[in-house]
Formats: sequence, structure tokens, C-alpha cells
Amino acid sequence: MNRGLNRFAILVACATFFLIIAGALVTSHDAGLATPDWPLSNGQFFPKMVGNLFWEHGHRMVATTVGMLTIVLLIYILAKEKRSWVRKLGVFALLAVIAQGLLGGLTVKLMLPLAVSSAHATLAQLFFCTTVSLAVFTSRSWIEARRLEEEKEVLPLRYLCTAALVTIFMQLILGATLRHSATWDKQLPVELVMTHILGAVGVTLTLGGAGLAVLRRHKGEKFLTRPATIALSLLLVQIFLGVAAYSTRLKSPGDPQPLNPMVGITVAHVACGALVFVSTIVLTLRTYRVLPATSEHSTWAARPQESQVI
Amino acid sequence: MNKQTRVWLVLSIVLSLLAISSSCGGAKTDGPTANTNGGGAQTGGEKWAGGTGTISGVVSFNGTPPAPRKIDTAADPVCGQKNPNLVTDDTIVKDGKLANVFIYIKEGSVEGGKKIGDYSWDTPATAAKLDQNGCHYAPHILGVMVNQKIQITNSDATQHNIHPTPKLNAEWNQTQPNGAPPIEKAFNRSEVLIPVKCNQHPWMKAYIGVMKHPLFAVSSDTGAYEIKGVPPGKYTVVAWREGQTPEEKPMEVTVTASGAAKADFSFGAAATTSIRPSLQMMPAIEFPMLGKH
Repeated sequence: MNRGLNRFAILVACATFFLIIAGALVTSHDAGLATPDWPLSNGQFFPKMVGNLFWEHGHRMVATTVGMLTIVLLIYILAKEKRSWVRKLGVFALLAVIAQGLLGGLTVKLMLPLAVSSAHATLAQLFFCTTVSLAVFTSRSWIEARRLEEEKEVLPLRYLCTAALVTIFMQLILGATLRHSATWDKQLPVELVMTHILGAVGVTLTLGGAGLAVLRRHKGEKFLTRPATIALSLLLVQIFLGVAAYSTRLKSPGDPQPLNPMVGITVAHVACGALVFVSTIVLTLRTYRVLPATSEHSTWAARPQESQVI
Repeated sequence: MNKQTRVWLVLSIVLSLLAISSSCGGAKTDGPTANTNGGGAQTGGEKWAGGTGTISGVVSFNGTPPAPRKIDTAADPVCGQKNPNLVTDDTIVKDGKLANVFIYIKEGSVEGGKKIGDYSWDTPATAAKLDQNGCHYAPHILGVMVNQKIQITNSDATQHNIHPTPKLNAEWNQTQPNGAPPIEKAFNRSEVLIPVKCNQHPWMKAYIGVMKHPLFAVSSDTGAYEIKGVPPGKYTVVAWREGQTPEEKPMEVTVTASGAAKADFSFGAAATTSIRPSLQMMPAIEFPMLGKH
């Protein structure tokens, strides 16, 4: 375990989170087309950042920084990391950030088609998931985790958490599609709003079920209960932010321009959604790390090689 | 994977797929009414001989007009310096008269029964002008003919980008720095009306009505308008007004041999840029603490 590598992976994950916020600010300000060209902004590396160009070019600058950090992270991993699958994940992270940059350019060049913009927002979450996973895999707690047992004849937690993770990811895709389906001065499509609400119910049920099951079955095991508690707390905050975001967004078409309450709350909703996602990723990865695939002890014991995989 | 596990996984996948499939029912966004009136690009047909008649009138506003809303120009100080009292211009009412209403002949027949859509018109040689001045489009509503040049100028000491979002014509987005030469563009299909915005200054909005014929006008600050060159005949005249859901008011008008017809329109407060919540069954929760700015 290399402490420096882990800290750097955490730095990249934090920078990615900041990038997601910067991207959300672009969407909420309807700044995506503040410049029609890419990768330059109005033909310049550093244009005068006034009006909405501040948000769009600022987003590009943060994205460039994250891209550079990802390159350095990959070099760091290749130099210090022995596990081949972690090295591969590092390569994947670089490929993902390159693809994300190209997708960002494409959405500008094609003037924000819904499918490309939504794909850009979705890949951002997947890239965030990758950087957080790298931070998890290089952490001391991951390396030194000890095996735990599942209760007998219960649904294994790893599957409960996976179900929650899949549902959250679907909800993130829906949220991205909803946000890009109408600019601030138009009403959001009813069908998508209703679907997103339905998705929120799904997330609450699956994540709530998984989180509570972790807290009940593994009380005292901070390795599992900490991410579960964080995920559940963030879920609660996220539901309130969702209601507030809907309320402010409902009024925004009557506003003369995107106003701070709508922008701030909507961006907070996006950011909190990303945090719910990654805290569930951490929880899920950890359940796979320390818990058996089935609730039968014999099965776990029959697969000792799993415990050696770090 | 045991049975319970499978049930959980299938449930979550079904829920997600159900959610996605229900969203694919055709998301709609409000916007200006696309209008195919008059066909697309100019086609052949009998040349329009014109006329000497007019259709004129006044557009009124019933009720209390919404107060103009102040625009925060902090994001670009140049806008605030040049236009310190910048306000919204979607509803301009003076003495009960409404400006910026686009009035046009939608369809009809001239005396003799020939339909107006069967004629062809020459494209005007002079370009229509759209200026960006004080971080504000002037005029707010512009009428042009199909393929007529539109000359766009930037009179501000800051950069703008001009971004029309048509439904029938090609969309484009172009930056115009301060001091840059005029941009010349044209639309090759009739469309009522094309929203134009500046993505750098999101409050900047204009609308361009593209018509196959020259029989249109925009109401002035006094609410008055006049469509000239109309021959005797029966026409459907439409008054179009911007809003969350743009409103169109048709009126049947007969232009007699004496050559002058009146058509007054009125719009009400209820039809202003009021927000029509898309989720009527879910009234928004009020957050009084969330003041605007």
C-alpha cells in the first residue's frame, strides 16, 4: 500500500467532484453554447471570461486540470501499484476522461443534442465512480480489511448494494436527461419529471433497504456502517434538495434570467446525487471485499482465493 | 444466486426500465409555434402583383400588465454600464396598447379565388437589421421574408453570440466580438417565429418571423400596425404574441375594393408570460426564504 498514491487518488476524486459541479453550473446557466467552438473558446485559449463564458470556459479549464491529474495518476499507479487490475483501472480512467472530453466537444459542436449532452453528464458520473474506486482500492482500510460473515439465510448484502447501485445509476441517467431536456426558460417535460420522481422512489427503496440491512447486520463494523450511514444521510438530503430544485425550476421560466436560488439548489441536487452514487459505490465495493457471495458459510470457505485478492 | 437475490435484482431492473420507457413518450418543450404557412423556400407560381389595400389596427392589452423585471448584469459589467436600467421587454404596454405583436396574413384568397399561397414573391434586396445594443436586441420582433438577408450588428463593447433555435430552418450559433463586422444570414423556410438568444447573456431574446410573403407587420409602442400592399380579398390575419406558450389570435378580414380594412386585436393579462406549471397536480412548495438574488 502506497500512502502517497492513495492521497493522490483522493485528490483526483475530489477534483472530479468539483468538475461535476462546474459542469452542472454550465447547464443551469444555459452556458453550454456561450462559445460555438471547441476546444478553443471563441478562438482563444484564454478568452475574456464575461457573461456565461465564465461558466463554460471555467468548466473547460477545470476539465483540463482533471485530465492532467488523471494522466499523473496513471503514471503514479504504473510506477507504484503491483495489482494488475488496479493498473488496468487506471488506464480505464484515462480513457474515460479522454472520451468525456471528446463528448463535451461533440455536444458543443452539435449544439447540445439531448442524447450527447445526457451521455456527457452520465459519463461524468462513471468517471467519478472510477476515480473514487481507485481511491478505495489504494486505501489502507481496503488492504487491511478483514473477512466478515453474512447471516444465514438472508439475501447477501453485496447483491442488495448492487441493486441499489444499479438503480441509482439509472436515476442519474434520468436526471441528466431531465436537466438537458429543457433550458431554464422552458418547462421541464412532465413525463421525465414523473419518471425521475418514480426513480427517486426506487432509489429510496433499494438504497434504504441495503443501508438499513448493513446497519442492522453489521453494527459496529465501521468499514461497512460508515459508508452506509453516509449514503443514507445523503439520500435524505438529496430528497429535500430534489423537492427544492423542482420548486425553483418550476418558476424559472418566468424569470428574466437564471437566478441564484434555482442555479444553486439545482447544482446542489446534482452534486449530492453524485455523492449518493459514490458513497453507495464505496459501500458496495466494501461488501464485495469482506462479505461472502452467499449467506452459506461453507460457500465462503470454499473460495479462499477471494480473501487473498487485494 | 438464490431466488431471493434474483427477485431483488429483477425488481430493481424492471423498475428502472419502466421508468425509462415511460419517459420515452415524447418529451415536449414549449416554444414558438412552427408554422408551415406559405410553404418552404420560395417556389414558382404566378408573381404577386401586389395591391394598394391595407389591413391596419391596434393591439390592446386588457388588464394589468406585468411589471418589467430588472435584469442583473453583474456577470458582464459592460452591459450594466451601457444600459443601467435594463429590464425585460416581453410585455411592453403603454396606455393599454401592446407592442411587439407580430401580425401576418396566414392564408386567404384574393378576388377571383386564387389562394395567396399560390403566388410567388421576390426576395427584398435590402437586408433586415438586427442590432445588439445595451445587451438587448433591437428590434425585439423582426419580420423578414424567406431568403431575405438579415444583417446582425454588435453595438456593444462586449462580445455576444447569436443563436437562433428554429424548428424548420437550420440552427446556427455564432460569436460576434465587439468591433466585429456585421454577420449576414438568411432563413430559407417560412417559420413563425424563430426564437433568437445570446448564450452569453441569457436574458437577451428576440424573435424572427420568416414569411414567404411581405404581408406582415409588428405592432409599435402605440399598439398600431399596418400591413400594406394587400389586394381585395378574404384573408385570415393572425396576431402572434410571445410567451411561455406563444399565443396566436386569428381573425377573418375582408379587404374591399376601397382598399382599407381594420382588424384590432386584444390580449389579456392571463395570456402574458405566465408560467403554466407542467405538473398541475403537484403545486410547487413555496420557499419564502429563497429570495431572488
